[in-house]
Amino acid sequence: MRVDHTLWTLLAVSLMTALCGSLAAAPPLHQQIDALIEAQEGYVPDAAAQTDDAAFLRRVYLDLGGCLPSGEALHEFLGDTTENKRAQVIDRLLASEQHATRMQYVLDELLMERRADKHVPAVDWQTYLRQSVLDNKPWNVLVREILSADGSEPKTRPAAKFLLDRDLRREDVTRDLGRIFLGRDLQCAQCHDHPTVDDYLQRHYFGLTAFLSRSYLFKDPKSGKTSIGEKAEGDVEFTSVFTSETDATPPRMLDLPPLDDPSPAEELYKTKPAKDARAIPTYSRRLRLAEAMIDDANGAFRRNIANRLWALMMGRGLVEPLDMMHPQNPPTHPEVLDLLAEALLDNDYDLRYLLRELALTRTYQRSSQASEGSPADTASYSVARLKPLSAEQLAIAMMQATGVVDPTAPLDEAAQKSVATFAKMFGSAGQSTRFDAAAEQVLFLRNSPLIQSWLKTEDGLVADLNALKDLKDLKDLKDLETPELAETFYLRVYSRLPLPEESRRIAEYLNAASDRRLAIEQLTWASLVSSEFRFNH
Amino acid sequence: MQADRLRQSGKRILQIFLQGGVSQLESWDPKPGTRYGGPFRAIPTSVPGMHISELLPHTARRMHHLSIVRSINSKINDHRQGMLYMERGRPAGDFPYLGSVASKYLAGPEATLPGYIHITTRGLNDQTAAFLGAQHAELTLRGVQPPDNLQLPGQLDPELDAQRESLRRQFDEPFARRRSNAELANYDAAFKQAELLMARKKIFAGEASPRDLERYGTHDFAKYCLLARTLLENGATCVKVTHHGYDSHAENFNFHLEQLEEFDKPFSMLLDDLHDRGMLDSTLVLICSEFGRTPKINTKYGRDHWGTAWSTVLGGCGVQPGAIIGATNAEGTEVADREVDSGHLFHTYLRAVGLDTYAEHDLPGRSIPIGDPAAEEIGELLS
Repeated sequence: MRVDHTLWTLLAVSLMTALCGSLAAAPPLHQQIDALIEAQEGYVPDAAAQTDDAAFLRRVYLDLGGCLPSGEALHEFLGDTTENKRAQVIDRLLASEQHATRMQYVLDELLMERRADKHVPAVDWQTYLRQSVLDNKPWNVLVREILSADGSEPKTRPAAKFLLDRDLRREDVTRDLGRIFLGRDLQCAQCHDHPTVDDYLQRHYFGLTAFLSRSYLFKDPKSGKTSIGEKAEGDVEFTSVFTSETDATPPRMLDLPPLDDPSPAEELYKTKPAKDARAIPTYSRRLRLAEAMIDDANGAFRRNIANRLWALMMGRGLVEPLDMMHPQNPPTHPEVLDLLAEALLDNDYDLRYLLRELALTRTYQRSSQASEGSPADTASYSVARLKPLSAEQLAIAMMQATGVVDPTAPLDEAAQKSVATFAKMFGSAGQSTRFDAAAEQVLFLRNSPLIQSWLKTEDGLVADLNALKDLKDLKDLKDLETPELAETFYLRVYSRLPLPEESRRIAEYLNAASDRRLAIEQLTWASLVSSEFRFNH
Repeated sequence: MQADRLRQSGKRILQIFLQGGVSQLESWDPKPGTRYGGPFRAIPTSVPGMHISELLPHTARRMHHLSIVRSINSKINDHRQGMLYMERGRPAGDFPYLGSVASKYLAGPEATLPGYIHITTRGLNDQTAAFLGAQHAELTLRGVQPPDNLQLPGQLDPELDAQRESLRRQFDEPFARRRSNAELANYDAAFKQAELLMARKKIFAGEASPRDLERYGTHDFAKYCLLARTLLENGATCVKVTHHGYDSHAENFNFHLEQLEEFDKPFSMLLDDLHDRGMLDSTLVLICSEFGRTPKINTKYGRDHWGTAWSTVLGGCGVQPGAIIGATNAEGTEVADREVDSGHLFHTYLRAVGLDTYAEHDLPGRSIPIGDPAAEEIGELLS
């Protein structure tokens, strides 16, 4: 069995290589990914089975839709006998409103790292991100918009949030351009070439800075609105604190050739700098930034987003930390990263395409539970990794399970407020795959009035469960039809049917309880804060 | 295991972090009258022959409890990297912070407070525990505010609380089977920490007494020091207090005048109280920073980042008192004698509380020495 498998894998890999470059259709991306993952040393075939249908559905709903599958969706999926029903559900989710909301949260966390609002209201920015996802705007187009908007036009102002809300502070923006779009934290290279990372050079840092060094924040005296102006002159010089050598650089994208200014035009300015006027140069270095960033020659740009989407779906980047891509910190699976990055290039930076292919892999669909006798080794992707729910996923899933919201409809104001509360409590500053549970988070789960109020919701889960006994004409609590209660409970909280012993335990617990409603509340609370709920598994 | 032995010893750590990089010239290594000395005088201390800056008059009278290391060359001028080197005792790599190590080896399973508590105004939640696990991660207190949500919801009593906690564990137990459990253990550890805090919520309830406020002062850092005292008295193992605002690239002298005045008195009162309560013999006190500040004064009357030749202070827990380790040259531009780095300090701190820093971390299947094998303790400070 094992031999067959390895042979098959090798065959697939060599076939793939042979087909590369020829016009013959290469296998779909997801198959190529699986072949590479399963050919890598350390991969253990059959260490984990593929997820069963219920587990798959919950996982993919959370990852692509940011919410749990409803009971009906689950029943329908379990009863569906179509062969490619998993692909169908992936496509439905990717086209859904929930997906737009999910990716809006993901992109917001990635790009703004949960900063407080400054110049551009969060709601405008979120609407912009959400609409971009609905339009399936390619990543390069989105980034070009974000880096070229100057905030002066109402239509493009939301996109300017990235630069404006960082107050265009050179150190912050340069560092974040490197981290968020290029996967490399060049901070140390601000003062000297990185002491331990040969690839992080001062000229990389200052080459990025030079794109923006002429730009400045301009506050319109009439409207009071802040936007970005730019001067036509000025260069960036830098000195190493170690060697005291001074150098100057025009704008440049990492190791790509420097972008010298064109020979000065007759008029340096379209609008000259003045106290009450935003300067607009004839030649804008800032607009060159957007082009240089998304240029096909800039491989770091697509490798970064490929790694980040992989991390989103698989729970860990091929390069970790996500912003430390450099030769001394190679990817765990270099060929996979190359493959994903080139697939993005070939498919016009279509994020939805990449998410779809990732969701279709066996790697993604593997169980997070190891087979009997196998180690739970997630590093080789032999067993799937547990992914902590993001703040938004957690809030929405809890509200959905308790019957407070229906995520197929837009969230009402109260629900949005709850999501914001969770974002503050559970959100991490920027995309990260690390999980750290803090005591204050658990205090919140245990004691906050918000969670308690969800247990008391009228027509909510607890009330529904409590009402189940009325359906039966019971003489005695001992005759309680707990399988039905347990089934409803497990379907709504865990998106699966209970095992017989789980049903039995619930029956025993409820039959022994003197206050049934309170007992159901206790049970529901315990399930909401359990690991099976806290992690996408 | 050394952990079992150490847990009996009841040793603890008070760590004061002067964030931003305190100037050694305005504190522990003054050079009045020299080219870079700045405007402040040096004053005698309770240790004959030992002088420190006049900005620390209260501390000066208590230097017989403390020792100065004046010869640190950590070679790092970056805030974060400098802080990480100081905390981890290694210049790079994902290692646990001093407080997390203390929590792991000094705080027992029956500890009544989280092992590593950090009182600070701001800052990110750092991954301080590395491979030691989340139960040894820093618990961050935002100033003297008690953590939110310490109170059980109205309808629940401790018995019902215990019941729902037991239900939670019943759900978790089968889920953890055959799954990689680092994350699951982290999550579970947070429940234990929350429980400890809820059980000890009275610690956060009381207001400081007028007498204490009069002695310590009423500003934030004074209140943090009072809370640190309460926590240490109540069984905390490592308490870190951060005093922000030493990054004086401009107006270094005015800044240090204000900052150190704020630091000097409450720190001295806290030292007195630990001494009076008989706790100083078992409490390691250390004052640290991510680096010092340049001797050269810049055009804005500031001093910049400087990892090349700076100082730190420690005492208590059997550390040789009243000593001065190492020296800088006359103008303070480099270390002249007994050069050490943050790795040496890390060894010294942990050996002072009884830990064998050459031993490996208590981790099955891995071999990671507790201290940087490239450094060793400052033996003169340890008896």
